[in-house]
Amino acid sequence: MTDEQLAVFVASSLRLSMPLILAASGEMVSERAGVLNMSLEGMMLTAAFGGALGSWATGSPGLGLLCGVGAALVVAFLQAVLSVTLRANQLVVGIGFNLLVLGATTFLYREIFGPLSREVIPGFAKWHVPLLGDLPVLGPALFQQVGLVYAGLALVVLIWALLRYTALGLAIDAVGEHPRAADQAGVWVAGVRYAGVVVAGVMAGLAGVFISVGDINTFTEGMTNGQGYLAIAAVIFGGWVGWRTLGACLLFGTATALQFQLPAMGIAIPTAGLIMLPYVLALLAVAGLVGRLSPPSALTIPYRRGVS
Amino acid sequence: MAPLLELAGLTKRFGTLTALDGVSLSVDRDEVHCLLGENGAGKSTLCNLIFGVHQPDAGEMLLQGHPFRPTGPADSLAAGVAMVHQHFSLVPTMTVVENLLLGRSRGVLTRTAFGGRVLELAAEYGLQVDPDRRVGDLSVGERQRVEIVKCLMRNPHLLVLDEPTAVLPPEEIGALLALCRRVAASGRGVLLVTHKLAEIARVADRTTVLRAGKVVESVSMANADMRSLVRAMVGRDLGSLDSIAAVSLGVEPGAPRATPPAWKPAPAGSPIGQRPREDALVLDGLGFRDVAGTLRLDSVTIIVRPGEIVGIAGVEGNGQAELGAIIAGLARPTAGRIFVGGRELTGRPPAEITAAGVGIIPEDRHAVGSIGEMSVAENMFLGQLRRFTRLGLLRRRALNEAALDLMKEFDVRAHGPDTPMARLSGGNQQKAVLARELTLDPLVFLLAAQPTRGLDVGAVDAVYGRIRAVRERGTGILLISSELDELLAASDRILVLYRGRIVGEMVAEARHREAIGSLMSGHAA
Amino acid sequence: MSVATASPVVRRLAGTLPLPVLAPVLATLAALGLGVGLIAATGTPVTAAILAFWDGMVGSTFGIGASINRGVALALVGLGFIFANRANLTNVGGEGQIAFGGMVATAVALRGAASLPAGLAVAVPLAAGAATGAVWGGLAGILKVKRGTNEVISTLLLTFIALLVVYWSVQSENLLRQPKTSAATLPESLELPAPTRLPTLSTDPSSPLHIGVLLAAVATVAVGVALARSALGVRLRAVGLSELASRRAGIRDGALVVLALTVAGALGGLAGAIMLQGELWVLKAGFSSGYGFDGLVVGLLSRGSAVAVVAGALFFGFLRSGGIAMEISAGVPAAVVLLIQGLIVILIAGSVILTGAGRER
Repeated sequence: MTDEQLAVFVASSLRLSMPLILAASGEMVSERAGVLNMSLEGMMLTAAFGGALGSWATGSPGLGLLCGVGAALVVAFLQAVLSVTLRANQLVVGIGFNLLVLGATTFLYREIFGPLSREVIPGFAKWHVPLLGDLPVLGPALFQQVGLVYAGLALVVLIWALLRYTALGLAIDAVGEHPRAADQAGVWVAGVRYAGVVVAGVMAGLAGVFISVGDINTFTEGMTNGQGYLAIAAVIFGGWVGWRTLGACLLFGTATALQFQLPAMGIAIPTAGLIMLPYVLALLAVAGLVGRLSPPSALTIPYRRGVS
Repeated sequence: MAPLLELAGLTKRFGTLTALDGVSLSVDRDEVHCLLGENGAGKSTLCNLIFGVHQPDAGEMLLQGHPFRPTGPADSLAAGVAMVHQHFSLVPTMTVVENLLLGRSRGVLTRTAFGGRVLELAAEYGLQVDPDRRVGDLSVGERQRVEIVKCLMRNPHLLVLDEPTAVLPPEEIGALLALCRRVAASGRGVLLVTHKLAEIARVADRTTVLRAGKVVESVSMANADMRSLVRAMVGRDLGSLDSIAAVSLGVEPGAPRATPPAWKPAPAGSPIGQRPREDALVLDGLGFRDVAGTLRLDSVTIIVRPGEIVGIAGVEGNGQAELGAIIAGLARPTAGRIFVGGRELTGRPPAEITAAGVGIIPEDRHAVGSIGEMSVAENMFLGQLRRFTRLGLLRRRALNEAALDLMKEFDVRAHGPDTPMARLSGGNQQKAVLARELTLDPLVFLLAAQPTRGLDVGAVDAVYGRIRAVRERGTGILLISSELDELLAASDRILVLYRGRIVGEMVAEARHREAIGSLMSGHAA
Repeated sequence: MSVATASPVVRRLAGTLPLPVLAPVLATLAALGLGVGLIAATGTPVTAAILAFWDGMVGSTFGIGASINRGVALALVGLGFIFANRANLTNVGGEGQIAFGGMVATAVALRGAASLPAGLAVAVPLAAGAATGAVWGGLAGILKVKRGTNEVISTLLLTFIALLVVYWSVQSENLLRQPKTSAATLPESLELPAPTRLPTLSTDPSSPLHIGVLLAAVATVAVGVALARSALGVRLRAVGLSELASRRAGIRDGALVVLALTVAGALGGLAGAIMLQGELWVLKAGFSSGYGFDGLVVGLLSRGSAVAVVAGALFFGFLRSGGIAMEISAGVPAAVVLLIQGLIVILIAGSVILTGAGRER
């Protein structure tokens, strides 16, 4: 592999990992509070569409970002109402939302853009991190990415700090592990769980906007293509721990990057096999072939006071 | 002066069941007030009302003279009411400090500084806690101390304790009761909820007796008479109670009670005498390491002979659960062997164990003993569906009829054999489990783990009556219980389990109570 | 919140009709209403759209036959779903099981099954498809039992993998792709030979209705009886409610979990084979086109009743035909049907709190 190829590989690995990193970090918070958002895929797709639409309509990617995150938040809020207040089956609700969003975004896209258009929408500018951006080979690859990458990574670190060092983080873990104990200590269980889902929604929103506005600069139907599920697999593989989840996302993203890298290097592996690689890795990961950690005890279990 | 807490005419219904009916009671400052009642009388419901978990359907509560209507635990805590729960409200994966910080801090956490404050407060009340240990690693008694410190840190006006002595070894009960006195003496009110008569005598200023949701008696301890309290609690005279039932109420071992029937092994020539004298159960050097690698059972050797009742004494959490799981075939020992009636059953699946004549009354009748959503009939015959299956299809009518027969024989009260198990009372659920296990043929060995937990006196009577009946027929019985007095009354000999090892064995006589209690706490006899 | 504390109107409504039946019906009506509203919002004349829809559903023998055929695939997936669901397992892998089953059925059909005697030429590829689906479902079951992997995630990931395998298989001529005669040769398989195609039922040549209906009928009876009357059904329920208690009763809970998912997978694989041998006749990437997820929705709506699965499957089968026709004639994107389905699922899931049918531990 030449230096140039390495640089491209590293750059695309990071770029392809970003949606996963963003979505998984948010989902990790939600799951630590006990809510599993199978609808992560739907939230990301909503944001991808909303962001694309907003950016195209206003000409400003920044406004597009707000649009996209806002749209994802609507889905997240509804998911929270169904999962926490109405105590519905979280897995079923998640799948329902994914169907709904796929249908809705496809429908709206066709209505607004017509069935075959591939409009280019205004995208984000790249940032050039001073000093680090000038390092040989890896400099441009790592440090001249779209601004959202750095903002996103900063948010992820903020999330880790929140979980470890604040009262809210403690409440989140308690609510996901033993909600009755948290309730009897005076914690507002429902409120904390809503907060968890909202965080997942915001981060999924950023992930979705990144995919359409930040990366490819267009929208295609169903463009998230399973990345929401990969993010969930990453959270499981990461054992609900920040840095491990980050590692899992990088692993899956790198596997996706191989799709373009190996053919460029002249290695002839069928594309289908390469596209499959992240999903196979994710399957191995959740099969616990690389260590098994236990989930928060109250994950997917709705809480009702007075019923232990 | 107005009482600290006043309850007037509280009523609470759950569907068609009236849990509390017009309950009135008051607690003063500097007072330890005992709420006495047997299992199912409504004590926990009353606690839940005071703590805001539920809201009353009628009546009102006054705290320091002002109306008190908490809509949740947060309200009660804010008003100065704290509760030590029967099933601890601690998050096992967090440390002591983290559990104590939960719900009372904002913003950034200060684990070390807070830890210092915890130690200070604990020392004030003579309690020992280690702030940085994971709650999941603590013993039951240590966890209770943490729960108490958690309450005291809120500086409550009223402290409610729900059945605090149920999980403690005899040695530590005294310390807990002394703590109640000390807390009351510091200008607070203490409401101690229990079903053990013996305890209240040591610590209460006043006692209120609850039976079937109603207040039956309310006395100051200076004028109290044990016999009348028992009569108030269960509606029967002390003398008419079976020794074990009396013991389950925590009547002092020395108190006069009905003489137990003489239990002797069946004479030779009877059917049992003609069978080969194989031991009912032999556990040989049993060891068990859990998934985390901790050694939960270590070189446990127990022999139970036919017609013998062997009791295992010990505080919960010392290996009883693991022992029960292994005998039932739900866990595999990591060392040692198991024999039942001379046949080796080490590591065999539950179906084979049952076929070998092993009956199990599990500690957790909700998770292991039965399936709440399934009917009584299905629960009774879940392991024998083949009997009622023809061409793969289940003959429901035959199933229900067979269940009805068993229900009559064992006095299981329910609307019908297809009633969901969860709708039955605790006592009837246990009777259904007994019906299933005790009708096994052959029944070589019976494991009864915490068989009377949560049951009222009538059900306790019924359970021990059944256990004795199978013993007469030659079944060997292993009785695991954290209620020492029950074990003393029911067993022939007692082994003490501490930290996964058998640390002592004695004949089950009242004079050994102190020695056994000592062993339960880990001290040499 | 419970029925007892809801408003008087809700209480009266709940009193007249059994809620478990009422809820799916109301949800479907609400979702359909919203769908119609959306169509109106696009500016398409609603009546024209609905007419096109109706025409597509029942306007011709072709339409009716095609709709029923669609219903067959949906019913099989739905039946598989409720079978596994009895043991509290959620099989989301219908799409992948269809895809994989169809692919293997195609391979077997193209590679020799045509030369088998009459009945076998049809039956062997079907069986191969079912077996493949069984393995794919069973794999998730084994992962659950041995590694504790949540079957929702595992069946979903297996679906993606299966879809990509099918895509792969029609890319390469070494696999199933038809020989490239020109640059425009599509990535799909050769046509299935006539002996392997499912015989049609109707004398009317324009109706594509095939024997898949009979297979679905047999499956419905089998699954329905198994769940409602058999000892196996009771055991599955026990395993789903309490692993420990059922194990203590001597039930082999691990084996039953694998069995449940294997059966669900087999039915999905069979559906895929039927789709290919019955109507499609040519393997293309993405031929499963959402049938797996539609079948999942049918399974969810039916609340464990085999009869309800059939009703739901037919309903969705007709819905799909209508949707396609509507897109072609009236220009309304068929995606609106997907939207309606998602909405139905959500509304039903959310109404569980009223029926009290949800299980909380």
